[in-house]
Amino acid sequence: MINFTINGQPVSANKGETILQAARKAGFYIPTMCYLEKTTPCASCRLCVVETDKTEGLILSCQTPPTEGLGVIIDSDRLQTERTNIMRLYDVNHPLECGVCDKSGACDLQNKTLEFGVSAQHFSAKDQHRAIEHWGLINYDPSLCILCEKCVHVCNEIIGDDAIELQFGGYKSSVIPKNSDTLDCTFCGECIAVCPVGALVSSNFQYSANAWELTQIPATCVHCSAGCSLHYEVRHTSNALGGESKIYRVTNDFEHTTLCGAGRFGFDFDQQSEKDEAEFDKAVAALQNASAIRFSSMITNEEALILQRIKEKLGIKLYNEEARAYQSFMNAYSSVSGKAGFGGSLDAIKQSDGIIVVGGRISSDNPMVRYAMTTAARHNGAKVVYMHPIEDDLLQNVITQFVKYEVGTEEGVVAMLAKTLLENADIGDELQSYFKELDEGYLCAESNVGDEEYARILKTFARLKRKTLIIGSDLLNHKRAANIARLCAMIETHTEFSVVVVAPSVNTIGVSLICDLDADKGGEKVVGYNAPGDYTMGSFADSMLKLPSLNAQEGTFVSISHQVLPTNVAVAFNGYTLNDIANVFGIEAQYTIDYTAQLPRNRGFNGTKFDDLGNFFGTLGEDNRGYTLDNIDVEVSGSLEEVETLPEFNGSVVYRCNPINQFNGYTQKTSQLEKDTTLRGSSQFAAAAKIGDGDKIRIEFPQGTQERIFKLDPTLKGTIALVPAYDVGFGVLNEQYRFEKVKIMRMGSES
Amino acid sequence: MHHEETFTDRNVSEQSAYYYVDIESYPTTGWDKFKQVVKRTFSGELFVGLWVVMREMIKFDIHTVQYPLEKLPIGPRYRAVHKLLRLWESGYERCIGCGLCEKICISDCIRMDTKIDENSRKEVTEYSINLGRCIFCGYCAEVCPELAIVHGDRYENGSEQRAHFVIKDDMLTPLDMLKAGQQSEYPGFGAIIPGSDAAVKKTPLAY
Ligand code: SF4
Ligand code: SF4
Ligand code: SF4
Ligand code: SF4
Ligand code: SF4
Ligand code: FES
Repeated sequence: MINFTINGQPVSANKGETILQAARKAGFYIPTMCYLEKTTPCASCRLCVVETDKTEGLILSCQTPPTEGLGVIIDSDRLQTERTNIMRLYDVNHPLECGVCDKSGACDLQNKTLEFGVSAQHFSAKDQHRAIEHWGLINYDPSLCILCEKCVHVCNEIIGDDAIELQFGGYKSSVIPKNSDTLDCTFCGECIAVCPVGALVSSNFQYSANAWELTQIPATCVHCSAGCSLHYEVRHTSNALGGESKIYRVTNDFEHTTLCGAGRFGFDFDQQSEKDEAEFDKAVAALQNASAIRFSSMITNEEALILQRIKEKLGIKLYNEEARAYQSFMNAYSSVSGKAGFGGSLDAIKQSDGIIVVGGRISSDNPMVRYAMTTAARHNGAKVVYMHPIEDDLLQNVITQFVKYEVGTEEGVVAMLAKTLLENADIGDELQSYFKELDEGYLCAESNVGDEEYARILKTFARLKRKTLIIGSDLLNHKRAANIARLCAMIETHTEFSVVVVAPSVNTIGVSLICDLDADKGGEKVVGYNAPGDYTMGSFADSMLKLPSLNAQEGTFVSISHQVLPTNVAVAFNGYTLNDIANVFGIEAQYTIDYTAQLPRNRGFNGTKFDDLGNFFGTLGEDNRGYTLDNIDVEVSGSLEEVETLPEFNGSVVYRCNPINQFNGYTQKTSQLEKDTTLRGSSQFAAAAKIGDGDKIRIEFPQGTQERIFKLDPTLKGTIALVPAYDVGFGVLNEQYRFEKVKIMRMGSES
Repeated sequence: MHHEETFTDRNVSEQSAYYYVDIESYPTTGWDKFKQVVKRTFSGELFVGLWVVMREMIKFDIHTVQYPLEKLPIGPRYRAVHKLLRLWESGYERCIGCGLCEKICISDCIRMDTKIDENSRKEVTEYSINLGRCIFCGYCAEVCPELAIVHGDRYENGSEQRAHFVIKDDMLTPLDMLKAGQQSEYPGFGAIIPGSDAAVKKTPLAY
């Protein structure tokens, strides 16, 4: 603790905190224009200047830590003059465009201009024509830009795309795409969020509504397991369109949270329906005769509990292969770790100084994990090891060591990794001999990972303090998933590593905690809820009974950080809900959210009622969203099995992997997100499969065939191609092992 | 520095000509009430009124306005059904879609839709006022920075429904009328304050 004073009043700061942070915590107001809590200081606006008793000149409070006994003055005539002059400069030739500007009413420049009473332009500068740039989902108006650099900082430090930079040129300075004519990035839209003025805006939203007309509905993103906090901004449409409420855009509390492109731009997946009694009766009848319900993990905890109750009442089965794989993985995991859940979280990743990722394409599977890794790398200089059969271009400037293993050899790789990381741990004789007996030569040769790679990992991680192991979703559906899980649990139990398992869908974890799932053996009379079935219900165009989509529902999800997160209704839905069906079967509840308090306590839920759950961040970034699941103790009973013969994947191998910003049937429905449905592969893959760029091809999977276009992707290397899953059926990625041996046939060329 | 209108107190002052109307006190007892009814019934007041009408009819000097054939001109500050004006020179719509009228409207009866057009400008695609809710307060005209929405002179807005919308096409000056010089400026609510020019601050130019 460092003790100092602000305006004569005693204030204390933690080590590493700046004067600004300490002042904010103590409730003092220092104006800023370029400060962003989650990045390193941009230090470009100079509005945060303060006086101290130890310095002659003014200092920037956003980047200066206090020293013991320092006397800081945050408001004085001198500071007021300095800050007013800064605001006057910002306003020189700033277009008088507030009348139409998207930012109006929520604009930092407007606010501060009024705060400092700048009502006239005192300086002059020759104005010049600056063209508005159209960068796909983003528009940039350089004449509104105040060059605060926030956008550049988030793009580099949080996202990791590093796609924009400041072009310096005095009065002509502007933001430009880095090393490219147009913006070529993953379109997370975070730059739009942080821009304090209307310079960077969403091209789809621009000029369609004013900030003050929109109602912010706090909710949780439904596209991946990160469960990001977002606001659906809703307004009525015009009378000509029926005056219905509609989501105009998605925003986030950008000081403390981040969104990827799917969360920000993929919001219009709702569908409308009226109460269709005849169809409702058919649905009830279908359930009465059903042998099973098949459902996806895009479901709230409450509805998952309703399904579980229906299962118990009607004695039918529940199918959800994706969640079942996760469930059995975690069962095996906890049989070793003694805890129901893994110990890591997104925050733990952010704070790490060493990260190992095994078996998943993080940048498209769970962007928030990627951003957390970027943050760790940029802010803590974290060492990042990425182990996967396919290199990932997007992680390139984050990872320090890429370890490429052969497809299918994950068990061997994880075993070797565990052996490496547990080398100096106190693990008892039995385990020690287990690792000693591993056939290192065989494992290394088959997986094609030399022991020098492991030696390097050992050396790097020996000195690190806060370490995280990220288990990608490839491993969940591996034939040897249970043993892999136990090996991973060994690492968490006996080392300083905390583990994060990247669950595939928004509520895979919730479903795995709430439902007793049965092995999907197909069969007659299956009712599908947002999943295939003989009778289907759900929120897709071809569902027979229409139920509300997840942005028209209230309920909770369990995120990858084991938080129980509430979401709210953004658009009204007039049809039936699953709860109405359950009521017919005597599973009575007035509202779906009546089940929130009934979520199983023995799995870590704490019985809080839905209406008592918060869904916001405090001004200092305190997370007031929902609650954190208890990590329940379970019996330790598991022991490691011997590593099986490592399988070989020869011939054409494809990897189920969605393009950036695509996740599932919902993202596929949205209007703004790019819908790339091609099979993407390297030139090496193309040569081996005898196909070329733009060829029409047929891919024969064991489960069926798909017809796609092949696209040559220069960022890919090696012999494995990426095949999307979001556009197949209901878009489930993780029903089986993500790599697959296939036959590829050329059917012609696209043109 | 900033402009101030001279404030004229429109309230009635103490010296003004208030006078009290002499009203008989109401009867309280039953008998008194009875007496009043009898008196009113037989006093023949009715015929006084009829005679006046008859007398004026015969004179053929009628001052009645022949509404709806004939309409009185209304005062410039009268707030009747809205109009959306165009710029005289270019014919463009004056409304820039800032939404201030929508925001200020006290009865929340303005709705509008805007979008970005091909030239990256804001375009107003829908604009409607529900006259069934409008209280003709004039706030919208007052707040409009572009003198786009004004209160015109059409005060007939009878309707068989409670909700009664005027949409953009009803309010916007048609181009041919504009060209024919038939768009009128309204000196009433929201019009430029006299002497505004003098109050504009000059920005130093660097040319
Ligand atoms: S950026 Fe802010 S100050 Fe500039 S025109 Fe837009 S609302 Fe007005
Ligand atoms: S575009 Fe916005 S965030 Fe980026 S430098 Fe300009 S004003 Fe700042
Ligand atoms: S898709 Fe995942 S990472 Fe992206 S905003 Fe939604 S929850 Fe967050
Ligand atoms: S006159 Fe008043 S009530 Fe009527 S539209 Fe304008 S602001 Fe609204
Ligand atoms: S206030 Fe005037 S310019 Fe703004 S939206 Fe209303 S009519 Fe248009
Ligand atoms: S907040 Fe410190 S320089 Fe901008």
